[in-house]
Amino acid sequence: MQMWVYIIRRVLLVLPVIIGVMTITFLLISLVPLNQRVSAAYGGGGRSSFSQCEPCPTGQTGNCGGHVGQCINPQYAAVVHKLGFDQPAPVQWALYMERSLTLNWGYTNPSSEASTGAYLGHSTYPVIEVLGWYLPYTLELALLSLLLILALAIPIGNYSAVHRNRPADQAARVMSFSGYALPSFLLGVLVLLGAAFLAGGTTPTCNFTSTHYLQFYGSWPPATCLPGDVYPAWIGSHFQTTPTHFPTIDALINGNYALAWQSFYRLLLPAVVIAYGYVAGILRFVRNSMLEVMNLDFVRTARAKGVSESQVVRHHAGRNSLNVTVTVLGLTFAFFITGFPVIEEVFGLRGIGFLLALSIQNPPDLGLIFGSTLLFTIIVVAANIIVDVVYAYLDPRVRLG
Amino acid sequence: MAEPEEALASASTSGRRPNPRWAQYKRTFYFLRRNSLAMVGLGILVFWVLLAITSPLFPGPSNALTRYCGVPAGTPANASLGCSPVCTYPVGTPPTAGCYQVQAASPSVVAPTIRISNGGIDLGPLPLGSLTVSSGSVYFFNLAPGLVKGAPWSLGIAGAVVSSGAVIGLMLGAVAGYAGGATDEVIMRFTDIFLAIPGLFLVLVTLSVLGSKVGTLDGRVEILIAAFVITWWPLYTRIVRGQVLVTREQKYVEAARASGARRARIITRHIIPNSMYPVFVQMSLDVGTVPLLLAAIVFLGYQIWPVIYFPEWGTLAAFSVENVSTFVTCTSCTFPWWQIFFPGACLFLFAISVNFLADGLRDALDPRLRR
Repeated sequence: MQMWVYIIRRVLLVLPVIIGVMTITFLLISLVPLNQRVSAAYGGGGRSSFSQCEPCPTGQTGNCGGHVGQCINPQYAAVVHKLGFDQPAPVQWALYMERSLTLNWGYTNPSSEASTGAYLGHSTYPVIEVLGWYLPYTLELALLSLLLILALAIPIGNYSAVHRNRPADQAARVMSFSGYALPSFLLGVLVLLGAAFLAGGTTPTCNFTSTHYLQFYGSWPPATCLPGDVYPAWIGSHFQTTPTHFPTIDALINGNYALAWQSFYRLLLPAVVIAYGYVAGILRFVRNSMLEVMNLDFVRTARAKGVSESQVVRHHAGRNSLNVTVTVLGLTFAFFITGFPVIEEVFGLRGIGFLLALSIQNPPDLGLIFGSTLLFTIIVVAANIIVDVVYAYLDPRVRLG
Repeated sequence: MAEPEEALASASTSGRRPNPRWAQYKRTFYFLRRNSLAMVGLGILVFWVLLAITSPLFPGPSNALTRYCGVPAGTPANASLGCSPVCTYPVGTPPTAGCYQVQAASPSVVAPTIRISNGGIDLGPLPLGSLTVSSGSVYFFNLAPGLVKGAPWSLGIAGAVVSSGAVIGLMLGAVAGYAGGATDEVIMRFTDIFLAIPGLFLVLVTLSVLGSKVGTLDGRVEILIAAFVITWWPLYTRIVRGQVLVTREQKYVEAARASGARRARIITRHIIPNSMYPVFVQMSLDVGTVPLLLAAIVFLGYQIWPVIYFPEWGTLAAFSVENVSTFVTCTSCTFPWWQIFFPGACLFLFAISVNFLADGLRDALDPRLRR
């Protein structure tokens, strides 16, 4: 089969899945009260409150949602009609699909916790735009964590496969399991407190934290570190231009090297915590695929013809065991892009996970919740396709079979 | 004499001959026993399970911890805390131990939606003199009883999630794998839809849509379990289906089919029991993940129920971590490390024990990895 045929087939197979996910989000949204759905889909027309009922005009009586003497706000009724929320369910579903496919994902709720915490002010923004502001930050963190995991998992995994069931292998196993079994927020807070304690309350620890967390975790002893490190810088007034929304790159473009270093520096501790938590799974894959490859015939042939053991491990077995690892790493990266709500919350990083953590607070931001679900699904599905295609490229048996 | 013969016959069919499946389990355990890490994991797990089972024997109800309350002088007592009479202290003084009002709250008390700060909450063992009452009502509770009472919640929720997920996965996966064709396609595409949504978000979305509508602890916990199960069943379905595709081609299944066994019998008696092993491994892995994920959800701010009425480990740990923040601002206080350490240790030991066990189980069940 040609490569492009394989790709097209893969994409076509995934369409029903995306439609299905949208249908499920649609069903979940249908459970939400009407006025919340309207404000999530319409954004309240830019006003902070968009009420369903208003006092009746003189000379009229009415009953609006149980409130006697109130009439339905005619503008509200017009919006409900325009959004199609008064139509039968299948029509609503079709309209929802249309809005989703045309990237009209609704608006943030100006009175939600997310709006306050994410410095959106008390105005409403298109969900997709807000997601676009926050995604790059998480991308930077995800990339750094993945690099750390790669640097740890591949050498350690290969080493424990070669020295299987020896003390080093057991130690690697215990270490990686402990990272998996520790709640990430506990580890994050402990690392943060430890770093603050070691730093003795000097400024660098402040860089790990947002203003909110500064007073709590920021320094030791507390209150020696002043607030002022407000992120996300791209919404604030740190820069004249924000062409990419990646904080580090934007700072470089604007020539603010100190801020660029700071933006990078802030990511180091969270990346270590994330890598420690996720290295266990990757390590297992590297170790097991290495063990499998080490038993294959060509490795025995290489040994038999007198290739040195380190050469066998590094070039013959190591290269070939990486195929599976590449797949797992790709999927892990896709999962990472969907954000680290807990880690971002602990370290006060303004990534997409932080945004989601805010949007589920009371009052919730339904537009953001459902918008991010849709976005993450698309990311995961796209990553699946990319990984499959890469795998098919590396291993022709897959696309032929 | 027909009687001895009859007895002999029944003994040989049911009594004496060992169940072959049982022998298989014994063999698995033999390999498991040689793995020291797995045995350590099994030991810790047995301890937690025993603690969870015996926790009703410890004093106090399972859904309300004993609270020690007090308010500063001059402030009205907050009746919703369930502490009456309330001790009062001058503002800025440490509460004295003798003045605590011990009140065993009745399980039927309506939980106040509390997030009391002001440095007022402590989870014992208490350094009593180190806290000062600043403003607002304060209450205290002891950590150790909380952890004991929390064991059945944590283990119960994890067990309920994993077993329901596995049962759903087994049924759908077995049907999909055995039937094949259109049935398989429909079930697996449906599974793919759920697998495509990242797990934590599916739980959060389900909770944020459904959770606010329920006003009782039991209802909330049921919704929580449901939200987890919605996230977990697709994984099991996929694992079981993959395994069934292998199992149904085995000779013994063919033999059963040739001997005229009905479809339902083949699936329940031959295919499902022989497809169980990867499910066991996955279950023991997931049982450790559920409390961790629950802790993360509580930490993110979704309050399942106030912690004194719901002393689940993850809730306790998340609550303690948030509390520590208030202590960090208090320069004269002892750093309450135990508040983080003990709930964290419970979660950690539980999760790592089941991980060790799952790892050993995988090695013991897979002939290629046995030696």
